[in-house]
Amino acid sequence: MAAKILPVVKFATKFTIAGGALYVAYDSGLLGDGKEGSVVLGRAKAAFPPAVEEWMKYFSFELPATPKIEFSPLDAWNSVFHSGVQKSIHALSVAPSTVSDYTKQGLQYVKDLTK
Amino acid sequence: MSEKELGQKWDHCLADSAIKFGTGLGLGIVFSVVFFKRRTWPIVFGTGLGLGMAYSNCQNDLRSHYVLHSKVAKEQ
Repeated sequence: MAAKILPVVKFATKFTIAGGALYVAYDSGLLGDGKEGSVVLGRAKAAFPPAVEEWMKYFSFELPATPKIEFSPLDAWNSVFHSGVQKSIHALSVAPSTVSDYTKQGLQYVKDLTK
Repeated sequence: MSEKELGQKWDHCLADSAIKFGTGLGLGIVFSVVFFKRRTWPIVFGTGLGLGMAYSNCQNDLRSHYVLHSKVAKEQ
Protein backbone atom coordinates (compact mmCIF):
# COMPACT_ATOMS: atom_id res chain seq x y z
CA MET A 1 0.00 0.00 0.00
CA ALA A 2 2.86 2.35 0.81
CA ALA A 3 4.44 1.66 -2.57
CA LYS A 4 1.27 2.75 -4.32
CA ILE A 5 0.89 6.00 -2.42
CA LEU A 6 4.55 7.02 -2.65
CA PRO A 7 4.49 8.48 -6.19
CA VAL A 8 1.40 10.50 -5.26
CA VAL A 9 3.10 11.80 -2.12
CA LYS A 10 6.22 12.65 -4.12
CA PHE A 11 4.20 14.51 -6.71
CA ALA A 12 2.21 16.32 -4.01
CA THR A 13 5.43 17.43 -2.29
CA LYS A 14 6.94 18.67 -5.55
CA PHE A 15 3.75 20.47 -6.43
CA THR A 16 3.67 22.10 -2.98
CA ILE A 17 7.27 23.28 -3.21
CA ALA A 18 6.93 24.68 -6.72
CA GLY A 19 3.50 26.15 -6.04
CA GLY A 20 4.74 27.68 -2.81
CA ALA A 21 7.68 29.33 -4.58
CA LEU A 22 5.32 30.67 -7.23
CA TYR A 23 2.88 31.96 -4.61
CA VAL A 24 5.63 33.67 -2.62
CA ALA A 25 6.85 35.39 -5.77
CA TYR A 26 3.33 36.51 -6.61
CA ASP A 27 2.47 37.60 -3.09
CA SER A 28 5.54 39.72 -2.52
CA GLY A 29 4.79 41.69 -5.66
CA LEU A 30 7.76 40.41 -7.64
CA LEU A 31 5.54 39.66 -10.62
CA GLY A 32 3.59 42.89 -10.58
CA ASP A 33 3.95 46.34 -12.00
CA GLY A 34 7.15 48.33 -12.44
CA LYS A 35 6.33 50.57 -9.52
CA GLU A 36 5.54 47.57 -7.31
CA GLY A 37 8.91 46.13 -8.27
CA SER A 38 10.83 49.15 -7.00
CA VAL A 39 8.76 49.05 -3.78
CA VAL A 40 9.82 45.43 -3.30
CA LEU A 41 13.43 46.36 -4.01
CA GLY A 42 13.28 49.11 -1.41
CA ARG A 43 11.78 46.74 1.15
CA ALA A 44 14.45 44.13 0.44
CA LYS A 45 17.22 46.70 0.79
CA ALA A 46 15.76 47.88 4.10
CA ALA A 47 15.35 44.34 5.42
CA PHE A 48 18.77 43.12 4.34
CA PRO A 49 21.04 44.55 7.12
CA PRO A 50 18.85 43.39 10.07
CA ALA A 51 18.60 39.93 8.52
CA VAL A 52 22.38 39.76 8.11
CA GLU A 53 22.81 40.88 11.72
CA GLU A 54 20.43 38.19 12.95
CA TRP A 55 22.28 35.48 11.04
CA MET A 56 25.56 36.76 12.44
CA LYS A 57 24.22 36.51 15.99
CA TYR A 58 22.89 33.04 15.31
CA PHE A 59 26.21 31.72 14.03
CA SER A 60 28.31 34.01 16.30
CA PHE A 61 30.27 34.96 13.23
CA GLU A 62 31.51 38.46 12.65
CA LEU A 63 31.50 39.74 9.10
CA PRO A 64 34.00 42.54 8.42
CA ALA A 65 32.25 45.88 8.23
CA THR A 66 31.45 46.69 4.62
CA PRO A 67 33.12 49.95 3.63
CA LYS A 68 30.74 52.72 2.71
CA ILE A 69 31.27 53.34 -0.98
CA GLU A 70 30.01 56.77 -2.01
CA PHE A 71 29.44 55.71 -5.61
CA SER A 72 26.08 55.58 -7.27
CA PRO A 73 26.06 54.06 -10.76
CA LEU A 74 22.78 55.80 -11.50
CA ASP A 75 24.19 59.23 -10.67
CA ALA A 76 27.40 58.51 -12.53
CA TRP A 77 25.42 57.64 -15.64
CA ASN A 78 22.81 60.36 -15.40
CA SER A 79 24.63 63.29 -13.80
CA VAL A 80 24.80 66.67 -15.40
CA PHE A 81 28.59 66.99 -15.42
CA HIS A 82 30.71 64.45 -17.34
CA SER A 83 27.94 61.89 -17.21
CA GLY A 84 28.25 58.38 -18.55
CA VAL A 85 25.93 59.35 -21.37
CA GLN A 86 28.18 62.25 -22.41
CA LYS A 87 31.31 60.12 -22.24
CA SER A 88 29.79 57.34 -24.32
CA ILE A 89 28.52 59.65 -27.05
CA HIS A 90 31.78 61.60 -27.10
CA ALA A 91 33.71 58.36 -27.54
CA LEU A 92 31.40 57.40 -30.39
CA SER A 93 31.88 60.76 -32.08
CA VAL A 94 35.69 60.71 -31.97
CA ALA A 95 35.85 57.00 -32.84
CA PRO A 96 36.42 57.38 -36.62
CA SER A 97 39.33 59.83 -36.25
CA THR A 98 40.84 57.77 -33.42
CA VAL A 99 40.65 54.61 -35.50
CA SER A 100 42.27 56.31 -38.50
CA ASP A 101 45.05 57.69 -36.27
CA TYR A 102 45.77 54.25 -34.85
CA THR A 103 45.74 52.73 -38.34
CA LYS A 104 48.23 55.33 -39.58
CA GLN A 105 50.47 54.70 -36.58
CA GLY A 106 50.28 50.96 -37.12
CA LEU A 107 51.15 51.26 -40.82
CA GLN A 108 54.02 53.61 -40.00
CA TYR A 109 55.34 51.09 -37.45
CA VAL A 110 55.21 48.27 -39.98
CA LYS A 111 56.95 50.48 -42.59
CA ASP A 112 59.69 51.29 -40.10
CA LEU A 113 60.16 47.59 -39.43
CA THR A 114 60.63 46.78 -43.11
CA LYS A 115 63.12 49.61 -43.75
CA MET B 1 5.69 63.82 -20.16
CA SER B 2 8.40 65.83 -18.45
CA GLU B 3 12.05 64.82 -18.59
CA LYS B 4 12.02 64.06 -14.90
CA GLU B 5 9.00 61.78 -15.21
CA LEU B 6 10.57 60.04 -18.17
CA GLY B 7 13.80 59.49 -16.27
CA GLN B 8 11.91 58.03 -13.33
CA LYS B 9 9.97 55.71 -15.62
CA TRP B 10 13.18 54.44 -17.19
CA ASP B 11 14.66 53.89 -13.71
CA HIS B 12 11.60 51.89 -12.72
CA CYS B 13 11.94 49.94 -15.97
CA LEU B 14 15.54 48.98 -15.26
CA ALA B 15 14.85 48.01 -11.66
CA ASP B 16 11.81 46.02 -12.73
CA SER B 17 13.82 44.22 -15.42
CA ALA B 18 16.43 43.20 -12.89
CA ILE B 19 13.80 41.94 -10.45
CA LYS B 20 11.84 40.01 -13.06
CA PHE B 21 15.02 38.54 -14.50
CA GLY B 22 16.04 37.32 -11.05
CA THR B 23 12.58 36.05 -10.21
CA GLY B 24 12.25 34.26 -13.54
CA LEU B 25 15.68 32.72 -13.10
CA GLY B 26 14.88 31.62 -9.57
CA LEU B 27 11.51 30.13 -10.40
CA GLY B 28 12.98 28.49 -13.48
CA ILE B 29 15.65 26.85 -11.33
CA VAL B 30 13.03 25.68 -8.82
CA PHE B 31 10.83 24.19 -11.51
CA SER B 32 13.77 22.66 -13.31
CA VAL B 33 15.03 20.93 -10.18
CA VAL B 34 11.62 19.87 -8.90
CA PHE B 35 9.78 18.79 -12.03
CA PHE B 36 12.05 18.56 -15.04
CA LYS B 37 15.05 16.53 -13.93
CA ARG B 38 17.48 19.47 -13.86
CA ARG B 39 17.25 20.22 -17.55
CA THR B 40 18.24 23.66 -18.82
CA TRP B 41 15.16 24.69 -20.75
CA PRO B 42 12.92 25.58 -17.77
CA ILE B 43 15.56 27.99 -16.53
CA VAL B 44 15.82 29.66 -19.92
CA PHE B 45 12.04 29.67 -20.26
CA GLY B 46 11.57 31.25 -16.82
CA THR B 47 14.18 33.90 -17.53
CA GLY B 48 12.53 34.67 -20.83
CA LEU B 49 9.13 34.95 -19.17
CA GLY B 50 10.57 37.37 -16.62
CA LEU B 51 12.19 39.56 -19.26
CA GLY B 52 9.01 39.51 -21.32
CA MET B 53 6.94 40.62 -18.34
CA ALA B 54 9.40 43.42 -17.65
CA TYR B 55 9.26 44.54 -21.30
CA SER B 56 5.49 44.56 -21.28
CA ASN B 57 5.37 46.53 -18.03
CA CYS B 58 7.84 49.06 -19.41
CA GLN B 59 5.83 49.43 -22.58
CA ASN B 60 2.58 50.02 -20.69
CA ASP B 61 4.21 52.46 -18.34
CA LEU B 62 5.81 54.55 -21.06
CA ARG B 63 2.62 54.59 -23.11
CA SER B 64 0.28 55.35 -20.20
CA HIS B 65 0.85 59.07 -20.53
CA TYR B 66 -0.60 59.12 -24.03
CA VAL B 67 -3.56 56.80 -23.48
CA LEU B 68 -6.91 58.50 -23.93
CA HIS B 69 -9.40 58.29 -21.14
CA SER B 70 -13.09 58.79 -21.63
CA LYS B 71 -16.10 59.05 -19.44
CA VAL B 72 -19.49 57.70 -20.27
CA ALA B 73 -22.07 60.44 -19.93
CA LYS B 74 -24.90 59.57 -17.60
CA GLU B 75 -28.25 59.17 -19.18
CA GLN B 76 -30.66 61.79 -18.00
